[in-house]
Amino acid sequence: MASDSPITSRKVVVHLRATGDAPILKQAKFKIAGTDKFSKVIEFLCRQLHRDTLFVYLNSAFSPSPDQLVNDLFNNFGVDGKLVVNYACSMAWG
Amino acid sequence: MEKGAQQYVWEGAIPLQVHLHESEVTTLPPPSPALILAPRIGYLPLLASQLKPFFSGALPPGVDTIWFEYKGLPLKWYIPTGVLFDLLCAEPERPWNLTVHYRGYPGNVLIPCDGEDSVKWSYINSLKEAAYIIHGSSKNVMNMSHPDQVDLWRSVMNGKLEIYNRISSKLKLGVVSDEFSEKLKPSPSKAQHNVNDDEATAALKTSRIPVRLYVWTFNEDFEDLEEAPHFDSWDQISYINRPVEINEKGKYFTLLDAVKSVLPEFYQDSLNTIKSEVKNEQSVELEEESVETRSLPGRPVIKLLRIQGIELKMKIPFSWVVNNLMSPDYFLHICLYIKAPKLVGT
Repeated sequence: MASDSPITSRKVVVHLRATGDAPILKQAKFKIAGTDKFSKVIEFLCRQLHRDTLFVYLNSAFSPSPDQLVNDLFNNFGVDGKLVVNYACSMAWG
Repeated sequence: MEKGAQQYVWEGAIPLQVHLHESEVTTLPPPSPALILAPRIGYLPLLASQLKPFFSGALPPGVDTIWFEYKGLPLKWYIPTGVLFDLLCAEPERPWNLTVHYRGYPGNVLIPCDGEDSVKWSYINSLKEAAYIIHGSSKNVMNMSHPDQVDLWRSVMNGKLEIYNRISSKLKLGVVSDEFSEKLKPSPSKAQHNVNDDEATAALKTSRIPVRLYVWTFNEDFEDLEEAPHFDSWDQISYINRPVEINEKGKYFTLLDAVKSVLPEFYQDSLNTIKSEVKNEQSVELEEESVETRSLPGRPVIKLLRIQGIELKMKIPFSWVVNNLMSPDYFLHICLYIKAPKLVGT
């Protein structure tokens, strides 16, 4: 991508939080490259939970587009040095 | 807020000539292309019902999953139609020739779309994201009554500005106080002008403006927009989501200042010089000139900047741009072609 630089090639800590009756992951925190798209987080979750679809939110507030960069999401919505991602099997905040 | 400008934006439309992809044509003669007007603030999948009568008879048996393509590039459906046009058609094509597909959805490039519901979901989430950026919380949007949510979405789909303004004002996402445009407005009396000032000051609730930038960076210059290469992959375009922070009241904050503030990778050195340059009107002129015409080695040059199809002067007050040209999702969508040297690490 055009805007890669030493700053943007850092890793972002993502904290995955189950919502409603969604299964809780054994390993809830992981790191992802800032230059990756949010779709990677969604794909990771779907693989870990063996599901085709999940409802994924940021800070229990909204669902970002899978095309958004993790770096941008972290910069705009990160809390305490991490990106808090809530996941649910059915729509939690519609 | 100038109602006129917002109305122009809402009434803006792109004339489309939509062709059914030849691989999906099963009739002879093939169906004629559909000539339709696509609202700038709308989204392509919402045109499905309008297009159906033109093509449904010609399709092979199977399930329809509509998607659009421009010169081989599948179009991302969550991007407003006007933004797609401004970004991908350097030299505006009228009508804009698009190809529609009903089969073979490119899941590796496009996120799934199940029609209107998917588009509505995407819109409401963008609205929540904007609310979060402005207020630090999406509560106002989440707490909307269901009828209000439905009516708001319908007003966007059908281009009903009055209804949209009535409902969206309840969200209190605010307008940006704009002292400079306020002072330029003709006021009937001095007393009236003072009242406007008070209201403007009181309205400064937001200093974080939601912005989505679609940036094409290149390093080999070209003369005319006609010569701009067309995009065959979304990898060529950077999708940047960074809010603009307006920090100081009373300081003349231009569109150029805003663009520089969200692209620190390109403007690391010049960020520090903005303050001294902006104070002097003449310097702003020079700044604008150098950005658009000179190409000093290492200095980024904005080749094209479009918002709602308008190529704005860079020294326009940013607050005016936000208040008048933002999209119904409370985001300002900016298309940018920028000539810059390759950055370290790319």
